[in-house]
Amino acid sequence: MMGLFEAAWVIARRDFIATVYSRSFILFLLIPFVVFGAALFTSVLTDDEQRKEMQPDVAVVADSATVQALNQARTRLAASLPDRILPDLRAVAPAENVPVQAQRLLADESGGYSAVLSGTIDRPVLTGPTKIDEVIGERIQLIVDDARRAAALSNANVNLPAVQVERVVTAQAAGNLQMIRRGIARGTQMIVFTVSVLLATLLLSNLAEEKTNKVIEVLAAAVPLDAVFLGKIIAMLGTSFVGLALWGGMFTLGYLFVQVVQDWMTMPEVGPAVGWPAFIALVLLYYGANYMLLGSLFLGVGAQASNIREIQTLSMPVTMLQVAVFLVAATVVGREGGWLTWFAFLFPFSSPLAMAAYGATNATLWPHLLALLWQGIWVVLIIRLSARMFRRTVLKSGSAERFFSLNFWRKPASE
Amino acid sequence: MAADLAIEAKGLFKSFDGKPAVRGIDIAVPPGAIYGILGPNGAGKTTTLRMLLGIIEPDQGRRTLLGHERPLEAAKIVGYLPEERGLYPAMTTREAIAFMGALRGLPLEIGRKRADILLRENGLGDYVDKPIKTLSKGMAQTIQLFGTIVHKPKLVVLDEPFSGLDAINQGRLEHMIRDEAASGTTVIFSTHVIHHAERLCERVAIIAAGQIRFEGLVSEARDRLRPQVRLKTRNADGPWRRSLPGDAALRDGHWDFELPKEGVEPLLKALIDGGAGIEELSIERPGLHDAFVAIAGEAAAREMEASEKMGEAA
Repeated sequence: MMGLFEAAWVIARRDFIATVYSRSFILFLLIPFVVFGAALFTSVLTDDEQRKEMQPDVAVVADSATVQALNQARTRLAASLPDRILPDLRAVAPAENVPVQAQRLLADESGGYSAVLSGTIDRPVLTGPTKIDEVIGERIQLIVDDARRAAALSNANVNLPAVQVERVVTAQAAGNLQMIRRGIARGTQMIVFTVSVLLATLLLSNLAEEKTNKVIEVLAAAVPLDAVFLGKIIAMLGTSFVGLALWGGMFTLGYLFVQVVQDWMTMPEVGPAVGWPAFIALVLLYYGANYMLLGSLFLGVGAQASNIREIQTLSMPVTMLQVAVFLVAATVVGREGGWLTWFAFLFPFSSPLAMAAYGATNATLWPHLLALLWQGIWVVLIIRLSARMFRRTVLKSGSAERFFSLNFWRKPASE
Repeated sequence: MAADLAIEAKGLFKSFDGKPAVRGIDIAVPPGAIYGILGPNGAGKTTTLRMLLGIIEPDQGRRTLLGHERPLEAAKIVGYLPEERGLYPAMTTREAIAFMGALRGLPLEIGRKRADILLRENGLGDYVDKPIKTLSKGMAQTIQLFGTIVHKPKLVVLDEPFSGLDAINQGRLEHMIRDEAASGTTVIFSTHVIHHAERLCERVAIIAAGQIRFEGLVSEARDRLRPQVRLKTRNADGPWRRSLPGDAALRDGHWDFELPKEGVEPLLKALIDGGAGIEELSIERPGLHDAFVAIAGEAAAREMEASEKMGEAA
């Protein structure tokens, strides 16, 4: 018998070549570009005019002086706040009965008003449903307050010229550093999560080919099933690294292109706590661990399915599991303690994501060694369990091997 | 367990979902033999082979494969052609053969070279770079067979190797099996076609309803029945009739009966002395089919024939 790794390598090499040279792999490589392109295209299409249309309109039923004061206040605020977060103010000449007019304006679908502001800046009245309070109510309050301050200063003949804040530049600020590192942590988690989701269905259906082609019988007679499972996961990991290399390469080229266009912008000085080289190495290791963990689980679960329909049925809970794990890991980014943090670090499926984030926010390296060891143990356990499940349920056989046999990794001395 | 046997199984039991598939299988295959497992569909042949190879574990019993109690430990020197043929459709024939060799520890480069030789020697040189999906079923089966022997195993296990093959390919396969055995390889195959076993095997196991009914030399199986005498005489009656055994039956002007235990000479003397006027007398050794009927019963024989017809139809 070949050793476990030797046999796994034979399986992995076949699977890797078969996948990388397939048409579906080219489609798989193109998916992120298609998604990114579609997002870019949509953002271009969603121009300012459309964004404007999405801003809530508030009818201002007031005299011209009030309308002018409110518009000026809005203009001043828009200079320091994003314009889109302030509602558009549209002046409407007041009728005899303003409350009735307000109701009519709100009922008029062609007008499309979200609220009606009436009265004066000293006694403003906002008419509209309660659900607008947070978005429109608070921002109208800002505009009214600013208008009143301006009026008060004007009445008091006080002129406050703008003051330029003097900047003292430092290398870094702790709060800023933390924010950026948490951003790096979350970004990393998102990338690892997204790639895992992309590959989940591939993993689920990975053994379907062998079951359909009846090759599984040939494999099972020649090599340990653990080697079949391990080989398949290694092949898919290799495949995903090809994808990552291509996507990463394209991203790097794009970044360099932007640098050239923008006169070689300086590289960002702020990086992950362990430094970029160590962090990249850790992310790759955790990506591999995450992939091996999910891969061994999905392969084991998918191996139970006997057709594509069953695999599709399994896809939904599998995606939900991935989302749940991602949310747990994302929640604990930057946290130092608490049961949820420890759970995220220790639960095998969230551990890689949580620890990758830990590398971004914390400079201590030794916990990574423990974490990788811990995750590795779980990979072995899940592969063994998956192989045994497959043997029992699909091949209808018990296993002669003990679950924790130490001979598992050993290459037999002779035939 | 005897160490000098290529395969030995004792008391193998296996049931699926509570239904017994095989019940107490005992097999002993000497090295270098061509060994057949005969039985109708559903008799337990495939389950037996899968247990011998370690693809499934028996519920009870023990087996050794080339001296190994864990069959996978002998995987490098075993070749296996499963009943349900399995190849990756996108692979070329050369790569498929080399891959199957690699699964058994043969380096890919050597596997590719041997694949080229096997294909060329069998008149399939033009198909070296053809994907499996472009081949006929019979040809794909031949490719899988090459993959089974490419690593030069000491033991080849073939599950229903003849099913799905046309007469030419069946002949080619028989030739290959003989070649393998001639080079010292032990070959064990299952079949529901008696004449393949009869032509190829020195030893057979006859299996029916999950049980071994006979295990031993083909000649021993045939020797369970007395040779059949067919006699035609000029005289319809006479004293010679007394020399015929009680089971003698007249069919189409011929007497058919088992050769008496005393042998042919006393019979001949009695016929001549009794004035039979012998026109024709032939003594035929019973075939494996007759032995199978006698051992496994008429019902199993009918199932075998049905299996054979189904195989031909497939």
